[in-house]
Amino acid sequence: MTDSTIQTETPTPWDGQPYSIKRHGLTLTNCDSEPVQTPGCVQAHGALLVLDPADLTVLQASDNSEALLGHPPEELLGRPVVAVLGPDGEARLRAFLASEPTDRNPLYVLTLPDRGVVPPLDVTVHTIDGVAVVEFEATGRTDAGEPDYYALVKKTVNRLQTADTLRQFCDIAADEVRTLTGLDRVMVYKFHADGHGEVFAESKRADLDPWLGLHYPAGDIPKPARDVFTKIWVRPTPDVDGGLAEMVPLVNPETGQPLTMTHCALRGASIMYTEYLKNMKVTAGLTMPIRRAEDLWGLIACHHYAGPKFVPYQVRAACEFLAQVVSLQYKAAEDREHFAYRLKLDGVHQQLVAQAAHEGGLSAMTDGAPVLLDGMAAGGAALYHSDRWWRVGTTPTEPELEALGEWLVGRPEFTSATRPLYATDALGRDYPPGTAFADVASGVLAFPLSRTNRNLMLWFRPETIHTIHWGGNPHEKPSVTGPYGPRLTPRASFELFAESVRGRSLPWMAVEVDAAARLRLLIMELVVSRAERLADLNTDLARSNDELDAFAYVASHDLKEPLRGIHKYAHQLLEDAAVADEEHRKKLEGLMRLTVRMDGLLDSLLHFSRVGRAALQLEETDLDEVLAEAVEMVGSRTADGRSEVIVPRPLPHVRCDRVRCREILVNLLSNALKYTDQKEKRIEVGFIDRNEAQPRGRPDGAAGHAIFYVKDNGIGIPAKHHGQVFKMFKRLHGRDEYGGGTGAGLTIVKRLVERHRGQVWLDSAPGAGTTFYFTLPCQEGA
Amino acid sequence: MSIVSKLSPIIIVEDSDEDFDTVVQAVRKAGIVAEVQRATTGGECLDLLRGASAIRPAVVLMDLNTPGTDGREALAAIKGDDALKLFPIVVFSTSADPRDVVYCYVAGANAYHVKPVRYPDHLQLVIDILTYWLGRVALPDPGRTKS
Repeated sequence: MTDSTIQTETPTPWDGQPYSIKRHGLTLTNCDSEPVQTPGCVQAHGALLVLDPADLTVLQASDNSEALLGHPPEELLGRPVVAVLGPDGEARLRAFLASEPTDRNPLYVLTLPDRGVVPPLDVTVHTIDGVAVVEFEATGRTDAGEPDYYALVKKTVNRLQTADTLRQFCDIAADEVRTLTGLDRVMVYKFHADGHGEVFAESKRADLDPWLGLHYPAGDIPKPARDVFTKIWVRPTPDVDGGLAEMVPLVNPETGQPLTMTHCALRGASIMYTEYLKNMKVTAGLTMPIRRAEDLWGLIACHHYAGPKFVPYQVRAACEFLAQVVSLQYKAAEDREHFAYRLKLDGVHQQLVAQAAHEGGLSAMTDGAPVLLDGMAAGGAALYHSDRWWRVGTTPTEPELEALGEWLVGRPEFTSATRPLYATDALGRDYPPGTAFADVASGVLAFPLSRTNRNLMLWFRPETIHTIHWGGNPHEKPSVTGPYGPRLTPRASFELFAESVRGRSLPWMAVEVDAAARLRLLIMELVVSRAERLADLNTDLARSNDELDAFAYVASHDLKEPLRGIHKYAHQLLEDAAVADEEHRKKLEGLMRLTVRMDGLLDSLLHFSRVGRAALQLEETDLDEVLAEAVEMVGSRTADGRSEVIVPRPLPHVRCDRVRCREILVNLLSNALKYTDQKEKRIEVGFIDRNEAQPRGRPDGAAGHAIFYVKDNGIGIPAKHHGQVFKMFKRLHGRDEYGGGTGAGLTIVKRLVERHRGQVWLDSAPGAGTTFYFTLPCQEGA
Repeated sequence: MSIVSKLSPIIIVEDSDEDFDTVVQAVRKAGIVAEVQRATTGGECLDLLRGASAIRPAVVLMDLNTPGTDGREALAAIKGDDALKLFPIVVFSTSADPRDVVYCYVAGANAYHVKPVRYPDHLQLVIDILTYWLGRVALPDPGRTKS
């Protein structure tokens, strides 16, 4: 039993018998069960002998030995290999096996010279499972002499080291391999995390169609083939049409085991593989892995279209060396690439946050420059912030986002203290409603912007099938169907694969998830720094309020003192008999009136400045009582018996500042009494509950609160003045009309209502009376 | 009407000449026979009350906003001084700010009045204040300084 024997649970078609591609290769139903490492056949362009390493007698021979080595298997089996190699060759092989590290490591021993019909043959040997495996291959050499492979490889390695990006690196590798081998097309084929592959770099004969950027399903390179590539460095298929030569006997006569051909250059190729190549019109191939240890990152796959192409052992050795160098450097190049991507993501994200900080809102991330999509490789992005969605690129619809957002907030990932972040490449699996928009958002990367509400940031990746160029798409690349039917075409494997990637996106790379997590931290910092800034502003505001307070106080005092003096002198002049002239007396009276008026203005100013700042003293208050007090305070004007204040139903108890609410009512009542020409002054004070019919003109901000009103039958206010009545010292009438006044009353009302977080507005028309409405939301929760 | 304040003077703390004149007019109109001592700052008022030739006033009419040591400080100093605290201090200020009113009563002011802008009102208020404090109120003997 060798380590490469494939174990399967289901019976195989060759059950109980040794496997041979020639006999069983077409009965396979599943590529993944093919025993590719013990194929029982070699590629017919070369011959293979299995020797007993002790005495160098032949145990097994490929059935084409007569054509290549001059003896049919039956003449060789059980006999010394000297018949093929000659005495010098045998001696050399014996010495070689004794001294060189040949275990699972094919090494060149000698070249059998041209013997007329048969071209010169390169002889390589390796040992495995207690036998020596000797391979004979045409050299492919011409008389032009050997190229200097050492110089070639050295030049290649030097060039590879100049690459800045992974793509550049792979481009160079493809170029160099093509120069080295002379094959028509060399591709660097990169495996993605889900197993499918992409032609990542390509060097080709100028007349060939480019395959660069095409993606191929994972099934195109079956698992057994991948396993082999973790053990060997080069896999030649010099003649796709060359046929197979079966081993005679099929198993080792001494052990009964098939030969493990993993390390054989001549290992027979699966018919699946050669058919696949033939269907793409490939006539010869050479493949090298890019790997570290058991990790297969990709392949350097070479195709030739102009008939058989023998790549001699020496060149293959150079290729093998190159593959190892590429493997070693690939990781470094990939790391550099990821690092560059990381830098780009962080750069864009920092700009985004700086922009958001500058513009004072996260919404800039979806409509500014750069936007969320400029960093992350995604199809769309969305932001839930300030109670709405902000979208950029291709995203699910808003109702879909709404439901997805609700679901995300409940995800266990979001409760993580250190890294609340959700990433998936198959949303439909976690969230079945997501299948409805799998085409745009199979992949989702999301994080919350805050713990307390539903603010979110999301990126979307479309279903893989929509994002890449599939090699299996017949419009992308022509293919023919061979004698074994459409199964062995890229087209068919595409269809199989399409099913397997339904609802899947390209996975989020670690570098992307990390960048998202860092962006989240940046945003959190921004939020915190904005809160700090707000606190600073509040401190500043408090200070300037204090300063304003001091100013208003000093101003009123310092202005009032001379005012009193002016009034006094005018009065004294008037008392003085010297001013007998009626006109002068009138002027002096005017002077005194003006000082009194200015005194009133200063009082209002001072009062207004105090109203805005002193802390509210919230308490459960019976508004009926407050109204009664207010009516009493404006009582002098209602005492004439021709005014009445109607309260249709008792006012509610609310939580408010009792004294300030009384002031609101006093101001509104005295306003109502003042601005009227009715003999019967009628004022109605009432409220409209939140679930009752709302008054027209109600601002949105007042929704959901009880609305209080003071309604009069007075002169009314033209609509064009509605906006002005709340302005400081703005009067709509002459100074002494309607009882005069400083014009500060409604300004103070507005300020007081706003201190209760409420709104005040009016509904009025000339002659139709005026209704002032206001809310006092402070009562709720405060 | 004539009020004789038992030879005790009254102190007027007032930096405004016009307002001081109004007080003088009021004293005359009220028929008060008492020496009127003027201080233009709170500091001067304290000087009058302290020292060797200290005045023992029947009442102090105190403006709040004076230059230097202002009325508030003088009020607090007087009411915090056992030797002076029994003198009645009547604040007479332009300010109607509730904070000033509260401050002065907390500091121990005996009354607080706001100066009206109209001269006749102003004059009448001073007359009323002086008539009240010199004629209607029972006060400790000015010589007494301890309760």
